[in-house]
Amino acid sequence: MTTHDWYAENRAAYVTRSLEPGEERTFRDHLVRCGECAREVERLERELGWLPMGVAPVAPPPGFARRMATKVLDRPSHWRRWLPLAAAAGITLVAAGMAISARDQGRELRALLSSRESRLAALEDTLSVLRRANMVLQTQISMDGHRGGMLIFQDAVSHRWCVIVHGLPPAPSGSVYQFWFITETGMVRSVEVNADMQRPAFMTLPMPGVAAPVMGAALTMESVVNRSNEPKGVELAHVVF
Amino acid sequence: MPRPEPPPAGTPGPSTDRPVGRRPLALAGEASLRRRLVARDEQALVELIELASPWLLGITQSMLSDPDEAEEVVLEVFASAWERIGSLGDEHDALLPWLLRIARNRAIDRLRRRRRWRLKLARAEAYGALPPDRVRASEVDEAAHPGWHVHESVHAALESLPAEQREAVRLAYFQGLTHSEIARQLAIPMGTVKTRLRLAVDKLRIALAPIKDWVV
Repeated sequence: MTTHDWYAENRAAYVTRSLEPGEERTFRDHLVRCGECAREVERLERELGWLPMGVAPVAPPPGFARRMATKVLDRPSHWRRWLPLAAAAGITLVAAGMAISARDQGRELRALLSSRESRLAALEDTLSVLRRANMVLQTQISMDGHRGGMLIFQDAVSHRWCVIVHGLPPAPSGSVYQFWFITETGMVRSVEVNADMQRPAFMTLPMPGVAAPVMGAALTMESVVNRSNEPKGVELAHVVF
Repeated sequence: MPRPEPPPAGTPGPSTDRPVGRRPLALAGEASLRRRLVARDEQALVELIELASPWLLGITQSMLSDPDEAEEVVLEVFASAWERIGSLGDEHDALLPWLLRIARNRAIDRLRRRRRWRLKLARAEAYGALPPDRVRASEVDEAAHPGWHVHESVHAALESLPAEQREAVRLAYFQGLTHSEIARQLAIPMGTVKTRLRLAVDKLRIALAPIKDWVV
């Protein structure tokens, strides 16, 4: 599960505007940078475009159209109001664009900048989960003589978790580290964790789409052939709120 | 929820045979109106207002429960459309859905600015059925409401949803509630709200796909 998966899963929620205000701002910022999400959101908006017509029409009072047209035509033009500023901004942009394109490495620089901006945005998003965390859970994990651990930051605003697994050796061949949500009705399979002794594994996870409330989380070592929805391997960590 | 009586037996459906007095406004008709709007034809603006106002007033009044505020939003919508008509994309961007989207977004913005969540929740509770429908059967005159067949199609799509999904759509889409507000309102986990909305949207995308035009 990557940060982008959260955006992909919440496109419909963004279009229906059922995201929380903070989430909506985060998503809107993301759309500026992500062409894929922007296209998908546009497509969804188009597909649901007629939905407001599920509400019955209301007959306008007599003379409404003419009165409304007069008001519209009497309003000062938004575009003209901002014309001087827009012109100044346009000149600045053109000048900046010319300066960049004059450089031999201009294209490479722009690509590099775009890449860095994407990475920065992903880091900012992860950081926002950490900074907004209203609860932090920590547990130690022992594995093949190594002592590692798992931290869970719970963000009550975006309803996501940032999970950090550190100090564990790579999973043996044929096995994977499997992260699970613990709910009132059982375990829910989440993501596989790519453990690396050199650096911690960071994961930003949305809540599972099940009715039962989430009570905690577990990390197990599973055989790669176990694709079932219940753990069958060795439980390495088990935390409950 | 009061609904118009179904057409008498033997009456052709709106998608196959439109009643006398209605003609399709799609593609060519809409393209012509759009060209005139781009050319700043003020009479075209009046025509657009006449065509779209009943539906824009419908969605904004149902969301805001305040006719005066709804009219303010509709004015903002037409002013915005008049300013931005040139930026509207290709023929895939139908005119009325574009206006409806602006209206709904403006209405939600106003609802959220009010910060009167209790009032909003109470209002949502007061509406028992989906979607809020102010038109009694005796008042319905299809010929007077261009696009009525689209309303019927959308309403049928909504009615075909399972009750719990329809409720989620009603609260989210037509009342502007967020996931957490819906979860509180229905006393269910937020994950359940998200699942119901996701399933409902997937079904509605399919059900609404055949709607390509509306009629005047």
